[in-house]
Amino acid sequence: MMEVTSERRGSTVIINTAGRVDGSNASDFQDALEASIGAEDGAVILNLGELDYISSAGLRIILLSAKNLRQRDVGFSICSLSPSVHELFIISGFDQIIAIHSSPESALAAQES
Amino acid sequence: MAEASYKILVVDDEVDLEPLMLQRMRRDIRSGRYSFVFAHNGIEALEKLNEDDSIDMVLSDINMPQMDGLTLLEQIPTVDPNIKSVIVSAYGDMKNIRTAMNRGAFDFVTKPLDFADLRITIERTLAHLTEWRAALASRDQLVSLQKELDVANKMQKSILPTSFPRRDDYEVFAHMEPARNVGGDFYDVINLENGRIGLCIADVSDKGVPAALFMMSSRTLLKGASIGCDNPGDVLREVNDLLRETNDTEMFVTLLYGIFDPASGDFTYANGGHNEPLLIRPDGSSSLLPRTGGIILGVMAGMEFAHNTVNVGPGDTLFLYTDGVSEAMNVTAEEFGMERLAAIFAETPPSDAEQTTMAVFKAVHTFAGETPQSDDITCLTLHRSESGS
Repeated sequence: MMEVTSERRGSTVIINTAGRVDGSNASDFQDALEASIGAEDGAVILNLGELDYISSAGLRIILLSAKNLRQRDVGFSICSLSPSVHELFIISGFDQIIAIHSSPESALAAQES
Repeated sequence: MAEASYKILVVDDEVDLEPLMLQRMRRDIRSGRYSFVFAHNGIEALEKLNEDDSIDMVLSDINMPQMDGLTLLEQIPTVDPNIKSVIVSAYGDMKNIRTAMNRGAFDFVTKPLDFADLRITIERTLAHLTEWRAALASRDQLVSLQKELDVANKMQKSILPTSFPRRDDYEVFAHMEPARNVGGDFYDVINLENGRIGLCIADVSDKGVPAALFMMSSRTLLKGASIGCDNPGDVLREVNDLLRETNDTEMFVTLLYGIFDPASGDFTYANGGHNEPLLIRPDGSSSLLPRTGGIILGVMAGMEFAHNTVNVGPGDTLFLYTDGVSEAMNVTAEEFGMERLAAIFAETPPSDAEQTTMAVFKAVHTFAGETPQSDDITCLTLHRSESGS
């Protein structure tokens, strides 16, 4: 149902999440995110391009990660949202506190600027 | 079975209140349902609470010598955190009422006392207290998550109003059906000044007892902030900031709050990350209210919330709901969606708040079939009469 993979570009880690995140697997999602982020990473980009659905339980995990990383002074952004997932970020107002980019490339460019 | 009996501590510096209360409540005293203890200021009240642990609730005036009612409210939890308090204030003293609600008062009544209304308020408070105690008692003997969820469901139910305004010019109806393993929705209907009412619908992100407690504080903070405040955006800002002060679990709540003025039909609302309500015209056509763009409450302090006003014309209906409606699934994992919702109203244009609410539940149940309900389903409907007055 949910798959999390990661790749590194310099000091930035890009985490790709695919499938469905809801109340039943939100804690797995949290574990997978934490496992993907190394102590040396300077920035994290969460690529949601292959994400079909995310519930409020999943949003909460993204929020927790964003706050943890902010405390550690690590950059955090998300990218490649499908229209329905983007809609959810707008309705929830999370677009006001989490940077959203159209692609991993533009997210990377924003990290560097 | 004998009815339960409750002991109420009345705190007021006016000595005349004691004989008046005993006289007006004599039937409930005679039947053994109520007994009263009296104190004349906050300090005396604390002494009574300390020496008598059978007191169930406190009814307190605000302005008193030595220790006032607002200070008393802060002190009560140090004696017993499970005592519920109702505050008596001067009519229109919104500043003190809001402070009292923010300090955990369960409800308030205004002077001069209307004893019929006071009795209803006392009964509501005691009903809540009973649920609350049952929840606490069950919590002590939790053996499984399921039991905890049952407790949460009970706490959730105890805060939902079950009687609604039903008047010639408008009527309100609301209903919530909890899911088996998620419980986070709530709604409220709040009486405001000049005949206006506050409407709220909300969805807490998590489940279980911590979420239920978060729901209770959200509900109390909203009620406190809503009194005497004409701007729903300011109300949400206050609730959000207060929720952040105590939120270390990163729970959050989507909450839409609006004020309906029956005189003009205006509905002024602000949104903390919740689904926009639908405005349904008398011909059954419907549209989502314009977005105001606020963030979910409890996430970050210091956020601003914009508000917007729409006019609910004669014969129009406002429909507030949670995502348990739009995201209900059928056996093929298809979502109920907004189109099916709009189709219900298009087919039968709403003319009655209760019928409309229950028609949506029926349609969602028929659609879902045997698929277990995965989220709470909550709807709140306001219908303005054709005549509009």
